[in-house]
Amino acid sequence: MRNYGMKRALVGAAIAALAMNASAAHAASATGTATAKILRQITLTKTSDLQYATIISGATASTVAVSTAGAATCGAGLTCTGTTTAGSYNVQGTNGAVVLVGGDSSVTLNGSLGGTMSSTLTYSSPNITLGTTGGSFQVGGTLSVGANQASGDYSGTFNVTANYQ
Amino acid sequence: MLRFLKALGLFTAAALGAAASPALAAGDLLVAPTRVILDGSRGTEVVLNNIGSEPATYRISLEIKRMTAEGGLDEIAEENVTAAERAALDMIAFSPRRVTLPPNQPQVVRVGVRLPEGTPPGEYRAHMLFRAVPDAAPATAEPKPAGEGVSIALTPIYGITIPVIVRVGDLGAEASIGEAWVSAGADGPAFNFDLSRSGNRSVYGDIEVTRPGLAEPLLVARGIAVYPEVGARKVSLRVPGELAAKLKGPVRIRYAEDREIGGGTIDEAERVVK
Repeated sequence: MRNYGMKRALVGAAIAALAMNASAAHAASATGTATAKILRQITLTKTSDLQYATIISGATASTVAVSTAGAATCGAGLTCTGTTTAGSYNVQGTNGAVVLVGGDSSVTLNGSLGGTMSSTLTYSSPNITLGTTGGSFQVGGTLSVGANQASGDYSGTFNVTANYQ
Repeated sequence: MLRFLKALGLFTAAALGAAASPALAAGDLLVAPTRVILDGSRGTEVVLNNIGSEPATYRISLEIKRMTAEGGLDEIAEENVTAAERAALDMIAFSPRRVTLPPNQPQVVRVGVRLPEGTPPGEYRAHMLFRAVPDAAPATAEPKPAGEGVSIALTPIYGITIPVIVRVGDLGAEASIGEAWVSAGADGPAFNFDLSRSGNRSVYGDIEVTRPGLAEPLLVARGIAVYPEVGARKVSLRVPGELAAKLKGPVRIRYAEDREIGGGTIDEAERVVK
């Protein structure tokens, strides 16, 4: 997966370099020299989604937590089934570059049959230092499930960004 | 189609209790370069490339972020920006603002500056955000019958920001390295030091931590900025445990300008890391 991501990043870099030099190459053709400018780049790819899987609510309000490592804690009174995963993102760029990462601290989910839930979101680190193979960060969260929460498919969107300084 | 597959993945995971299929990452992206500085009227170009496996629509926008004393970047809502931040948003022109790209298709985004007459000297900055617009939420074909529990689908809207800095007039800045220490946080050890700044613009460069007598640097961290809205920031870099132990003791910390503009030393200090 990582190799694949890297290869795509390299392809991207080559294309970026080509795109940037279309005009330069034209200008240079009269004297027969060629120039190539390599730009520093950053890529962001999603490798997994934050998933709470399926929850059967109980008579009292409770929570389900998924850590940034993907481990689930099913609160008292709830039944949790399915595989939970933390959201994970891969960042590629200059070796040694420090990238600030983060996003929304909470998200509201709307149910297909009505009802809402909210989830807090936590990030594995406020910044990452990229190595030769890039770097990654994870998103976990704690979902608040109401007493006898209406069943249904709940969905919501949240923002995640990788920021260069 | 994608949504359907995602939904199917979720359904499969929920129904079978099996591992979810890997996410189909529509919206993956590449941005180059990673920092734009404009002085004068000449514009530049930024390349956006769709490195996902599906066509995706990207939105490009400007936002204001302020550096915190902890070294993070806080997003500032448009109604809370200062006059100078407003001026930055107004003077930076770019196009296009929205583009749909097939996989591996790059798009050049042109960035220019329109300086209103009488703009006071200073550094103006906004952050250019590139992010994929999520697919429209699918109509739920078969509403889940009551009593079958609750399933959750969280869709991240993820993107990249790069700073776009406009410098007006003759500006200067200096930085100095403060105390350095190793901390053991809940999420693992980190190497920390204070970095202060004076002058009327940001400073930006690479950090190299070396041990006297050792040829190889212990730690290299590139692209560390101190923006003008803060006089000092903490730089906190997560490091592996063995490196954290090695960093303790006498070190030389060098903060140097970007290699692309010569790599001159901004500040250099000998510190004993606690």
